[in-house]
Amino acid sequence: MALTKYLGRKLAWTIVVFFVALVLNFLLPRLIPGNPVDAIVGQIAAGGGAGGEQLQKIHEHYMQEFGLDKPLWEQFFIYVGRVLRGDFGTSFGSYPASVNHLVGQALPWTIAIQLPAIIVGWVIGNVLGALAAFKGGWLDRGAFVGSLFFSSVPPFAFAIILLFVVAVKGGILPVGGAYSFGLSPELSLTFFGDAITYFWLPFWSLVLVFIGTQAVGMRSMAVYELGTDYVNYNRGLGVRDGITIRYIFRNAMLPQFTGLGLAIAGLITGGLITELVFSYPGLGTLLFNAIGQNDYPVIQAITLLITLAVLLANFTVDVLTGFIDPRIRAAQSGER
Amino acid sequence: MGTLVDARNIRGVYYTGGKDVVAVDDVSLRVEEGEVLGLAGESGSGKTTLGSIVALIARPPLHVESGALEIDGKVQELGGDARVPRTWRGSVVSMLPQGAMNSISPTKRVRHLVWDVMRSHSRISKEVALERARERITTLGLPARVLDAYPHQLSGGMKQRVVTIISTLLNPRLLVADEPTSALDVSSQKILIEMLLEMLDQKIMSGVIFVTHDLPVLRTVATKIAVMYQGRIVESGPTRLMVDRPQHPYTKALMSSVLTPEPKYSKIRIEGMSGFDRTEFDAPAVIHS
Amino acid sequence: MSFRGLSPRFWVAAGIVTFVVLVGVLGPLILRTDPDTTVGGLYDKPHCCGKLLLGTDNEGQSVLVNLVYGTRTSLIVGLIAGAIATTIGLFVGLISGYRGGWIDDVLSAITNVGLAIPAIVVIILVSVSLPKRNIYTLAMVIGLTAWFWVARAVRAQSSSVREREHIDVARLSGAGFWSILGRDVLPYLLSYVVMAAVLQVSSAILFESTLSLLGLGPGDATSLGTMLYWAIAWGSVRTGAWWAFVPPTLMLTLIVFGLLLLQSSLNEVFNPRLRRGRAARRRMVTQETQPETVGAAGLLTGSEPN
Repeated sequence: MALTKYLGRKLAWTIVVFFVALVLNFLLPRLIPGNPVDAIVGQIAAGGGAGGEQLQKIHEHYMQEFGLDKPLWEQFFIYVGRVLRGDFGTSFGSYPASVNHLVGQALPWTIAIQLPAIIVGWVIGNVLGALAAFKGGWLDRGAFVGSLFFSSVPPFAFAIILLFVVAVKGGILPVGGAYSFGLSPELSLTFFGDAITYFWLPFWSLVLVFIGTQAVGMRSMAVYELGTDYVNYNRGLGVRDGITIRYIFRNAMLPQFTGLGLAIAGLITGGLITELVFSYPGLGTLLFNAIGQNDYPVIQAITLLITLAVLLANFTVDVLTGFIDPRIRAAQSGER
Repeated sequence: MGTLVDARNIRGVYYTGGKDVVAVDDVSLRVEEGEVLGLAGESGSGKTTLGSIVALIARPPLHVESGALEIDGKVQELGGDARVPRTWRGSVVSMLPQGAMNSISPTKRVRHLVWDVMRSHSRISKEVALERARERITTLGLPARVLDAYPHQLSGGMKQRVVTIISTLLNPRLLVADEPTSALDVSSQKILIEMLLEMLDQKIMSGVIFVTHDLPVLRTVATKIAVMYQGRIVESGPTRLMVDRPQHPYTKALMSSVLTPEPKYSKIRIEGMSGFDRTEFDAPAVIHS
Repeated sequence: MSFRGLSPRFWVAAGIVTFVVLVGVLGPLILRTDPDTTVGGLYDKPHCCGKLLLGTDNEGQSVLVNLVYGTRTSLIVGLIAGAIATTIGLFVGLISGYRGGWIDDVLSAITNVGLAIPAIVVIILVSVSLPKRNIYTLAMVIGLTAWFWVARAVRAQSSSVREREHIDVARLSGAGFWSILGRDVLPYLLSYVVMAAVLQVSSAILFESTLSLLGLGPGDATSLGTMLYWAIAWGSVRTGAWWAFVPPTLMLTLIVFGLLLLQSSLNEVFNPRLRRGRAARRRMVTQETQPETVGAAGLLTGSEPN
């Protein structure tokens, strides 16, 4: 069946790209001259914690631990093997904490903000854009300029402004972190009630920017659809407006879906930076700290995760588009 | 044979940002029962605009400043703020658009459009609607499977015929066809014309206005021809008369610009139309009734 | 292209961009101060006039001076990276689209993989590994990861141009491969390339500021991104020292907004299909590869915007 062929192709492609990403992920950081273990040991030595012979031992120990004493290709296989088992190694900076542990702590916070933000932003943005296109007039002009502005502001810039205006000056919402000092994460109502106040600002700064982008795109698509031949024909045959509007929406949504897949990378990045601004303990802050400490395993784990998320999102979008638009599967499988 | 449609004093103007363009300048015409009225003219003559006004689909920037349509004794005002009832479109007067390629939404099957059209006009069940469509399609010589097709799965000629059938599903009194043959190759043109005449015969519709710049086609399909020039009808009359003995200078120039391979025409010089001095075309209109 | 056809949107956009460029170019010349000189204490409040107009930052340096030099840095990085990305992408896309054959297959495969991998990931990985980070290495890295979507879009355009008659005429009259590319194909694509270039510059500026915020910015120069980095690292937001982060934020927003507005107004001029009113007859079945209106978040993908 055309659909399965199409999906099969997309899946194969995704796997190939992931593999390339894996290679890049492994290779690029190792292109530096010098050696992270030297840096760590150097720090220990500078701290005066150990003498010459001990430093030697520590150096050897770390080299073995991080597998840096083996040839490059062997390291690569070890790396791939570990990744496929879900083991991302040990952190350099927060030794001996495992990367999995660090990432595991930060990941839920990031997902909690980004996933709802993307979904809500997409839905509201598209509805707004479609409405603006249909109603026209002042709603259209106002919404368009507003959306253009919101979509042009870099997400972190918006976050900074929001933080300043609402939290610092306005004092309405908390300034940073994910929950109040003294509380610890648990599945209780009180914790949830508290955490949600910290949630709003980062969430809204992401959502508003995304609404802007979606609205602008959807409006253009809807305007285009309104002028098409089939809309004209429907009208000419006396088809009810409600029915035609549904056609228009469905056709205008297609490129928006594809656009979502393409925009995911930017959204995730924007989200991570926003976390930084709000000192939100998600992957963004983790990445920031890791960079500061030259903590390669953590950095690599996060970049791999980002790549995975983007590839997954694109695959999902491809699947959905395949279901909605018959032309795509036809073109792919050579039916035309 | 009585009068099917009487269109009176139609004036259509395009409101562009700057100068307003009068596309149809006080035109009246009549279509008799069982007749195909050919509306001919060059680009910009106003024939497509007139067609869209009569088909009740004029919309901004085109404004109908005045005019009335009388069908079956019912008079519908077209000008100014007159509101055309939605149900007239498709069931009283219907359109066959130019370029059927894109007239069906690319993500829907043909039967969806059929269902949408039929249920917008009467309370009808899906099965009955599709059954009627199937009957109509097979009667006119097309395979019933086109109902299940997506637009991109049909060839150009096939699409044009399917759209023609959809336009006449509700048995409209008048069908306004805008350049239906222009995008087709010659054999597809022939098939389409035959189908249109067959439909007229079966009284699926009672009259056709055939808008085109393609004169040879009109010779084969039209009973009467009206020639438009700069928003006005300059001459109209039975086809034979218009083709063989045109009287208005513009009609003469138009007819003589057509190349025909028939022997008798090889003796006639091709005059063509002078591109610069067109003042002689402003002669008064000639109407053969 | 006459100037009468340009909408008010274009003039507003052009105005904004010109303003920012002037700040970056003339600012340092007027102020004539090294941004690293200490002019005051920690987060001094702004007061008129001169160097303390926007107060001081966490190192007692003048925010105004840093802002001006920062704008210049960001613009330079944006321009260099944008130029690199557009040039490479143009080159690859032209050859790939016009030549076809196995060259096309190879280049397309590379382009598609490059598009699928998020640019930010590669940029982070490379920047972390760089022994020395300055404006030029950064610009190069950004440019080298951003050319993919230009290549794909140009390829689509040039492969359709291949079928046009004027190319046949050129070929018949004996013009060589490179001559045809340069004199017959390229001018046809020019409007598109201009728009793509504008987007690339804007995207590059955003990438640079993102990198700087993460701590991967140029080590030797101030940029708008690094200003923000220090502002956050030293908690100026918390203490309410708005002059430390609002000016760079505003300037950054202004540049990006101005460039995006410019691109969208140029887009409407070059592609009348997007205007309200009668749409084009031809309906594209597959995704049109045009730089349509994008947002700042979209720019960070480094790939084709919607």
